[in-house]
Amino acid sequence: MFSLSRQIGIKSITRPTTSILSRSIKTIPQPPGYVVGTVNDAYIPPKPHKLEGSYHWTAERLVSIGLVPLTLAPLFTGVSTLLDSTLSALLLYHCYAGFQSCIIDYIPKRVYGNYFNYAMYLLTFGTGIAGYGIYKIEEKEGGVTKLVGKLWKA
Amino acid sequence: MFRSILRNQQKISLRTLATQATEKAPRIKKFQIYRWNPDTPQEQPQMKTYEIDLNKCGPMVLDALLKIKNEEDATLTFRRSCREGICGSCAMNIGGKNTLACLCRIDQDTAKETKVYPLPHMFVVRDLVPDLTHFYKQYKSIEPYLQREDHPADGRENLQSIADRAKLDGLYECILCACCSTSCPSYWWNQQQYLGPAVLMQAYRWLIDSRDQATAQRKAMLQNSMSLYRCHTIMNCARTCPKGLNPGKAIAEIKKQMAFD
Repeated sequence: MFSLSRQIGIKSITRPTTSILSRSIKTIPQPPGYVVGTVNDAYIPPKPHKLEGSYHWTAERLVSIGLVPLTLAPLFTGVSTLLDSTLSALLLYHCYAGFQSCIIDYIPKRVYGNYFNYAMYLLTFGTGIAGYGIYKIEEKEGGVTKLVGKLWKA
Repeated sequence: MFRSILRNQQKISLRTLATQATEKAPRIKKFQIYRWNPDTPQEQPQMKTYEIDLNKCGPMVLDALLKIKNEEDATLTFRRSCREGICGSCAMNIGGKNTLACLCRIDQDTAKETKVYPLPHMFVVRDLVPDLTHFYKQYKSIEPYLQREDHPADGRENLQSIADRAKLDGLYECILCACCSTSCPSYWWNQQQYLGPAVLMQAYRWLIDSRDQATAQRKAMLQNSMSLYRCHTIMNCARTCPKGLNPGKAIAEIKKQMAFD
């Protein structure tokens, strides 16, 4: 009985079905064992890229460090448009870099191909909209810090 | 006189041997071990339970595995070689932690089962044997050997100051057991392109070697979003290293060195 069920592959019938979404997205098949070339060839890393290497990392760190005093400054000095627009611009870049990292991690180009590009376009588009939103807030509400202050009191 | 001393000693040793050791009650410990056979790929991987009397077994998990292989189930497959934590063959996931079976003590609590899996997120060759081909290919890609343009005029070895040599401590001890790389979530998701803590620590070891002259090329190789910068300082690597090394710190040092390149 056991051998029979194995022969006809009952297991493949009872296997849980994957969701419709994950089936509709076509991923790029990966080489067996992730081995490209022969087993004795060295792995070939992606080409150096000016914007994705150390400068990108340094910019990320500088922005994160810069955000700390900028967040605290309005508590002591009061709100100014220059301070506030710098804070919101850096915060926007901080969010952008964070989401970019998530996309590279979880929707890698080598597996998802064009979906990686679409995700990046969507992120860039969203960042643009957010940038415009910040401009409007600066113009009408007098800055993000003031808006947060209002919400705090409300 | 000399003879009489010898005779006395014999008497004493005889007397000690004569005392019968009392039979201890067996302490049965259960081991659940991951089993998968490539000859029967239609069968799902399964956990098989083995029982071992801890009184008749060495102190380390590797002793238990060898005992199982010798006495209970000869088909159990795993890599092992030096049994003293210097070869890195017996790296596996024991009780939820990547470590070397030969350096991991058996948990003496017999009420609990010890689970043994192969290194996580690696292709399994059989039972506890992971496929490390890609890992070694990555190691090869960082060119882990001394590269120089010129050689010492006297035709002898490249000399190094004691201070420069001290920089390599905590790096050269790595045995490439792949415990750290396979404990890193970033390596789980992107192991095809992210080099992983073990290989990056070796990359750093060659970057700071005062005798090496290929620093610029070595750094240029890491200037992309995948090779180095997938490290998000999760630090599982430093936590799991069976040799007590800190690959996370080495990666941070590389990033610091490269910050304004």
